[in-house]
Amino acid sequence: MTAVLEFTPDQATSLVGEVMARSGQNLNACYQCRRCASGCPVGEETGYLTPDRLIRMIVLGKREAALDNPLVWKCVSCFTCGTRCPNDIMTSRIVDTLKKMAKEAHVPPSSPKVAAFHDSFVAASKRLGRLNELEFMGRYLLKTTLGGLVKLKFREVIEEHKSQAGLGVTMLRKGRMHFRIQKIKGKQEFRRLIKKGRERAMGLSKSPASQE
Amino acid sequence: MELAYYPGCSLKSSSEIYDVQCKRVLSAIGINLHELDDWNCCGATSASKVDDFIAVAMPARNLGIADASEYTELVIPCSACYSRMLVAQKILEFDRSLLDEINAELSNKVIGRTKILSILEAIQPVVSSADFVKRVTRKLEGLKPACYYGCMQTRFSYGVPVLDDVENPQGMETILESLGATPLDWSYKTDCCGASAAVNENDTSILLMSKIMKDAIARQANCFVTTCPMCQLNLDAYQEKVRAKYGIAQSMPVYFITELVGVAVGLPLEDLGLDRHFVDAMELLKELNINE
Repeated sequence: MTAVLEFTPDQATSLVGEVMARSGQNLNACYQCRRCASGCPVGEETGYLTPDRLIRMIVLGKREAALDNPLVWKCVSCFTCGTRCPNDIMTSRIVDTLKKMAKEAHVPPSSPKVAAFHDSFVAASKRLGRLNELEFMGRYLLKTTLGGLVKLKFREVIEEHKSQAGLGVTMLRKGRMHFRIQKIKGKQEFRRLIKKGRERAMGLSKSPASQE
Repeated sequence: MELAYYPGCSLKSSSEIYDVQCKRVLSAIGINLHELDDWNCCGATSASKVDDFIAVAMPARNLGIADASEYTELVIPCSACYSRMLVAQKILEFDRSLLDEINAELSNKVIGRTKILSILEAIQPVVSSADFVKRVTRKLEGLKPACYYGCMQTRFSYGVPVLDDVENPQGMETILESLGATPLDWSYKTDCCGASAAVNENDTSILLMSKIMKDAIARQANCFVTTCPMCQLNLDAYQEKVRAKYGIAQSMPVYFITELVGVAVGLPLEDLGLDRHFVDAMELLKELNINE
């Protein structure tokens, strides 16, 4: 993060406007006090790209950099930045907005496993109305390792399976794994909700965050 | 006391022991739990990263079921479920058009009359009542817990009123002190364990957990106590890996708060699932003679 960020007015207005509307956060209120930065548990992991810098990036209109950087995917949603911000800017909601914008813009996630985790979680819980951990982990492993198989990175694929299976075996031994399938009875009603979500996502007109 | 109860998916699978404890322990101290009829997954933090609408709509269906029930209060032990349901309730309070849109699909409409309680809010009034001391058959003397709250007991992605101190909560400490334990003051009680990063960014999560463990040990804690099934599973299941990677000699059992309340009021240890931890959770109680 040594490069100087240049200001391009047109790009800045459209990017900051979109992020503010979708995240419901007033990015212009940030005066770079860096309280968020000092509390960010993954600051070391993102090459010191902390919430304050992400906000600055957006305010200056750096769309590509904002959609494709380690903080967007390494943020652990601990909400420390937002609770400590003197201007109540909840950066985790900005980060979540950027995740969705990146997906819409077909920007591949810098941590594909994180994206695969959340996608698999939502897909599995949407299917039966409750999350079944085995189905979820199956979907996740398939998603994360399919890419590796295509690229012939067999070692990575084997390592991933080994590390998750290791935990699985211990969980089984401690009676912490369950094979009973959990599902809801009100499936029709639940599916109507999911369908409405899908229709809204296609319209992309308004998000709950912007309504606050 | 009669409370509606939302266990959530974790408590029906990898953290089933927490579900069992909640029911047995709370009933032993006079709180009867009534599981919400046909509840669904709250979407956890994942839904809010994938789709803004379902992140509210999934918890909303549960809120509708709770509002239609005969109970006024709903206890949610899992921190992620607690957080998502509270946040959804708050969003729907202010966003009437979203509320109408969601309610149009629900057979049980969200009214917003249900009061959501964390497990600590449910237990605390009972434990701090004057005659509770008589029920304590095993004093937790010698137990020096590092009370670990993690992220989602006190920090939220929306402006939800927080009852305890955000950075230095005392709910667990208050409960454990009245059971005879000596909870310690420490610095990492609301730090993040990495949650799902344990699966998808393992190195990050192991690093975060190493910091948590080192501080707890430096304060001479002999166990962790938590309310969150993700925190419990992470600190318990990955502890060996954390210790090996960061050269930490001491191991520490990771108890759920409900477990220790159950021990204190004399419930059999096996009934609480204490034998189903990754890091031995019985040994320490035996050493301190609080297993008899």
